[in-house]
Amino acid sequence: MSLFDIAFYFFALITVASAALVVFSRNIIYSAFALLFTFFGVAGLYALLGADFVAVAQLLIYVGGILVLLLFGVMLTTKLVSVDMKTGTLQALPATLLFAAVAGALSGVYIITDWNVLAGAPDAATTAVTIGDMFLTTWLLPFEIASVVLLVALVGAAMIARRDARSKPTQQAAL
Amino acid sequence: MLQHIIDSSHLFRPETALTATFCVVLLVDLFLRKRTSMPAYVAVLGLVVTGWFIAAQYGGAPATLFSNMLAVDPFSIFFKSLTLASTLVIVLFSLQSNELRDSKRMMGEYYALLVSLTLGMFLMAGATNLIMMYLSIELTSMSSYILSAFTKEADDSSEASLKYVIFGAVSSGLMLYGMSILYGLTGSLDIYGINRALIAGNVNNVTLLISVVLMTAGFGYKISAVPFHFWTPDVYEGAPLPVTAFLSVASKAAGFAMMMRFFKVTFIDAAVGGSYLGSWISVPGFEWNHLLAILAVLSMTIGNLIAVWQTNLKRLLAYSSIAHAGYLLLGVVVLSNEGYAAVLIYLAVYFFMNLGAFFAVMMVANKIGSEHIDDYKGLGYRSPLLGVCFTILLLSLTGIPPTAGFVGKLYLFSALLNAKWIWLAVVAALNSVISLYYYLRILRNMFLTQPDPAGAPIRFGAVQIVILLMFVIPTILLGVYFGPLVQYAQASITMFTNR
Amino acid sequence: MIPLEYYLSLSAVLFATGVIGVLTRRNAIIVFMSIELMLNAVNLSLVAFSQYLGSTTGQVLVFFVMAVAAAESAIGLAIIIALFRNKQTLNIDELNLLKW
Repeated sequence: MSLFDIAFYFFALITVASAALVVFSRNIIYSAFALLFTFFGVAGLYALLGADFVAVAQLLIYVGGILVLLLFGVMLTTKLVSVDMKTGTLQALPATLLFAAVAGALSGVYIITDWNVLAGAPDAATTAVTIGDMFLTTWLLPFEIASVVLLVALVGAAMIARRDARSKPTQQAAL
Repeated sequence: MLQHIIDSSHLFRPETALTATFCVVLLVDLFLRKRTSMPAYVAVLGLVVTGWFIAAQYGGAPATLFSNMLAVDPFSIFFKSLTLASTLVIVLFSLQSNELRDSKRMMGEYYALLVSLTLGMFLMAGATNLIMMYLSIELTSMSSYILSAFTKEADDSSEASLKYVIFGAVSSGLMLYGMSILYGLTGSLDIYGINRALIAGNVNNVTLLISVVLMTAGFGYKISAVPFHFWTPDVYEGAPLPVTAFLSVASKAAGFAMMMRFFKVTFIDAAVGGSYLGSWISVPGFEWNHLLAILAVLSMTIGNLIAVWQTNLKRLLAYSSIAHAGYLLLGVVVLSNEGYAAVLIYLAVYFFMNLGAFFAVMMVANKIGSEHIDDYKGLGYRSPLLGVCFTILLLSLTGIPPTAGFVGKLYLFSALLNAKWIWLAVVAALNSVISLYYYLRILRNMFLTQPDPAGAPIRFGAVQIVILLMFVIPTILLGVYFGPLVQYAQASITMFTNR
Repeated sequence: MIPLEYYLSLSAVLFATGVIGVLTRRNAIIVFMSIELMLNAVNLSLVAFSQYLGSTTGQVLVFFVMAVAAAESAIGLAIIIALFRNKQTLNIDELNLLKW
């Protein structure tokens, strides 16, 4: 078992265990931090797959952006009077069955499919230069449209989340 | 490559105009605070310029832009025109809506988001690459999420919007997973490349089936087909009425455009017969049109059955639009040029009758402040003009001659029967009969029950009457004189093929 | 060398976990976290395909998915904040103004 394989199993274990913790934990703060570890695990897997640009982008965007935003959301929407961060119940048996069904079916299909895998060792070059080139030549239009998407999200989120002068008065000034 | 980009930009003018309009409308609020309707006028100006650019694209040869990302062909021009017309109408609705005026908010962002929603739909109509399909769906969805949360003080608006976001994110996650499997199977994200890889063979059918089922989740969500329709009633009820009307017509049309283009280009090997009646040969694999037939039957049946119980007009129209998505899917199932032309005809007709119905509901809601069916009692006596107009629109939605709705259904049924899908035609006819029940219930309330003694005659403003007639007159006109529309639809099913 | 199927199965497990989270959890923020899990699963499978099939196209799509996921979570959280301001609860079961 080479170091490469050990690293794969290590990151895979972190990812799956953290994902399970996110979904099944009753404490929302535990879920948020487990999500952090999931993102790290996935970033490690990207690095093992030779996608260096994507791995770093994962850390910057998901951990640095989305996770921080989720933590803000968690902190802003729990009532200050109660320290109970527990969330609702879930039925264990149907969830496990559904999980086994979905994961099993998909994995089974993947294993029996004959993928046209490229023979030989994959190219070990860094991908950042290639991807950068592609963004400005072949994939120019999606790149520009993605920027419009981000602008729309910016405008919209600011518009929805802001407190208007004439909004309904709330009982607590927590927000 | 640079030359290719420059050449593509010439055909990209409508979308560029829309993006520029979006930015300008956002800034109008900043600089011109006093005039609250200014963003609307600027938006209309931008949309008119866009329309002019689209008109300039008529009759041009089909082409793809930006390395096979977007196609400009008669098919996409049809849908872009339909979307643009919807947006102009919705700007008109928004100016007339009391609900939006009472929210006392600066409207710059609202009109800017309407424009970005239009841009998303334009891109959906032309997308030929899986990345563009995903990005355009997300652009449309995101603008819709925000617009449906616009009147956020109303309790049901933010609740509806949250359900919309969750459902939309899950559906596009499912669709993306299907796209990733398709990429893995064929090595290409470009639908022409996928088609070539599927024709070349040695693709596992089960994996292909799973990937298409997952992608259908995304398409089904956009067109509100069962079982991906759960967001529709809540969002239609909770969102401001102009937004609901827009989603019901334009978003559905754009979703159909994308779906039809994806299925035709990816899964069709050749077209047999050059005329518009020609039928197609599928790539060897599984029968994807049977999958869509199941979706169609479920949508028609469940949409119509649940609509029977509804008492809120907006919710009733939401379930009726789910049923109409089912009828429209029938045209896709048929796998022929005739079926596709029938879908285009039906969408054009649906534009008039559905927007008209929503506008009538908005007019009534403006005056009596309610969307509940019981408050429609005696409306026919209190305002005969509205009663008659609404009647015509409802009869058209059912599909009774001589209205435009009948023409739409006629062409759909004829496509079904020509392709020997008899049982589907029977199911669709039965469903039309069920829909007659709940549309007639509204009519019964309006005309066959006496109004409250306190119910004074309602007078509607001249502007609103004119706008309503703008929908009712074409509904009747197209019911008797539909030749040009049919010819235009049949000419518009040409898509760019990369052979 | 790790076979492609291992990566894909891992992605399937992650996706299924996300789906379970969306279907069974009541708190809106946990549902958003589960959606992020689903999108990460998709990204993982795309990068794995990109590596084993030898084209960088998959990684380009991954980048776009990340950007859109960020935008979506921004909007989702803004709506959650607006909702919480109105109703002081994030329990989806209690959001029942819009029923049948």
